[in-house]
Amino acid sequence: MEFLQTCLDGLLFGSAYSLLALSFSLLFGVMKRVNLAFGSSLLLSAVFALWVDSILSVGIIGIFLVMLGSSAIINIYVEKICFYPHRGNYGAIVSMISSFAIWMQLDDLSSFLLPDRTASFPSFLPDSFFIIDLFIRIDQLFLFFIAVLMTGVFFYVLYKTNYGLLLRGVSFDGELARKLGVNSSRISSFAFAFSGVFGAIAAFLILSTESQVTPFFGFWCTLKGLVAMMLGGIGSLPGAIIGGLFLGLIESNVINYLGAEYRDICTYLILLFILVVKPGGIMGSAILRDERAASERI
Amino acid sequence: MLKVDDLVTSYGLIKALRNVSLEAEKGKLTCILGPNGAGKSTLLFTIAGILKSDRGSIQFLGRQISKMKTSEIVKEGLVLVPENRLVFPHLSVRENLLAGAFSRFSRKDEVEEDVESVYQRFPILKERYLQEAGTLSGGEQQMLAVARALMARPKLLLMDEPSVGLAPKIVNTIFEIIKTLSEEGISIVLVEQNAVKASAIADHIYLLDQGEITFSGSPDEIEDNDIIKRAYLGDITES
Ligand SMILES: Nc1ncnc2c1ncn2[C@@H]1O[C@H](COP(=O)(O)OP(=O)(O)OP(=O)(O)O)[C@@H](O)[C@H]1O
Ligand SMILES: [Mg+2]
Repeated sequence: MEFLQTCLDGLLFGSAYSLLALSFSLLFGVMKRVNLAFGSSLLLSAVFALWVDSILSVGIIGIFLVMLGSSAIINIYVEKICFYPHRGNYGAIVSMISSFAIWMQLDDLSSFLLPDRTASFPSFLPDSFFIIDLFIRIDQLFLFFIAVLMTGVFFYVLYKTNYGLLLRGVSFDGELARKLGVNSSRISSFAFAFSGVFGAIAAFLILSTESQVTPFFGFWCTLKGLVAMMLGGIGSLPGAIIGGLFLGLIESNVINYLGAEYRDICTYLILLFILVVKPGGIMGSAILRDERAASERI
Repeated sequence: MLKVDDLVTSYGLIKALRNVSLEAEKGKLTCILGPNGAGKSTLLFTIAGILKSDRGSIQFLGRQISKMKTSEIVKEGLVLVPENRLVFPHLSVRENLLAGAFSRFSRKDEVEEDVESVYQRFPILKERYLQEAGTLSGGEQQMLAVARALMARPKLLLMDEPSVGLAPKIVNTIFEIIKTLSEEGISIVLVEQNAVKASAIADHIYLLDQGEITFSGSPDEIEDNDIIKRAYLGDITES
């Protein structure tokens, strides 16, 4: 029963990691880019929303909406500054480095808005209940359901809408898309705004289950999202979901059976093991194979 | 319909097109022949707005398009079928077709109608509509690329070496398709190295060599011109 409880906790929280990993995978799998400033953009949108609330008392719904809007805008800003100018084949490294610079910039902005280092974040649905001996926090359960729902929305946008179609087209062959006249600038902004909104929903849910925000939240999001993505499979969307859940499972089991201080070391050991045994992550081999095939064709 | 005047396009310091002038008439099949590296693709890219020219003018239906973006040029009705990497390999056949209609996504019914009519023209694409386009044969991918261009409702098609790398039997099919499209009234600018096949269906032929137009005339005039005939028709049929 204890094991079941630990796994349940891990899965529920792991769903938040899945959302973060999906955002990274959207940009990595689809645009072949790593956006190191992503976590910081979520932190900034959260502290900005709290700041707006402190002035205008917009309430929890207001905070949520301000977070979505500001995250979309911040991510378009990141895209215009460090990704769009380097959209050619060889821009991956340059844009990753400039996203590092933007990360520092955004974190600094956040600390201006967060002079006390921590701020309490409004939580909702604070109750919990038991199902046959299993302890369940309602807010975490809610997080899990929203994560499932959002994953559905994510796949719907990507596979059933025109923007999703063009986004996949641009990502698979940007050169061809350009020749057909697809406006790749708009598509790329759309992808960043989409990942920003998506990440902001995840960040809002995570922060409200934690009931506080600290200056480390940005780095935490980037780290967890990237680790979950690497575990599950670089650039694979189903892999991102699996990687997030798996990361949640690892963490909760390590914390429960070995102690919290071993959490990160065990996570990285497992990550290393998986990357050695299965380069590219659990679901990543197909992506690597495609990449290799694509480069051999030239 | 299309009038290119004194066009110069360069890659860095290298001039790939030097003062190219040509015309394509409405409803006609205009063919541009030339060896590898002559600048044929560069010419089509410049017309389609993918590359910007250094100087010169490109008029399409009386409008100056040399400063327009590709997306705007597509909306005007000038659509490119590129060479080599033709289709989005991981999108399905149907999705590839839809991608060709990106400039008028809002008119959903119209797009669906066009998908149907493209399916009627190319039944093989209908059979394979869910298949990833990258798994189609070379000839089928070429058909899909043409079909995708038709989804943009083109007034003028720019086709870049549609027969390259295909088996002779498939080449015949592709040329049949081009001929049919031309007979239906779609104006076509066809870039080819297969001079024999191309001159059999072309109304007018240009020769492009090292970025310059070296000949302009009807297919019969090529037949009559021994030097050119040996240089182009001869070489290419042997290889
Ligand atoms: N991206 C580029 N950068 C520099 N030079 C280029 C580039 N693309 C083409 N060129 C040069 O421009 C010239 C014309 O190339 P282009 O691709 O237009 O020829 P082509 O007639 O289409 O040849 P092919 O029959 O092989 O397709 C060639 O000398 C080529 O080396
Ligand atoms: Mg070419």
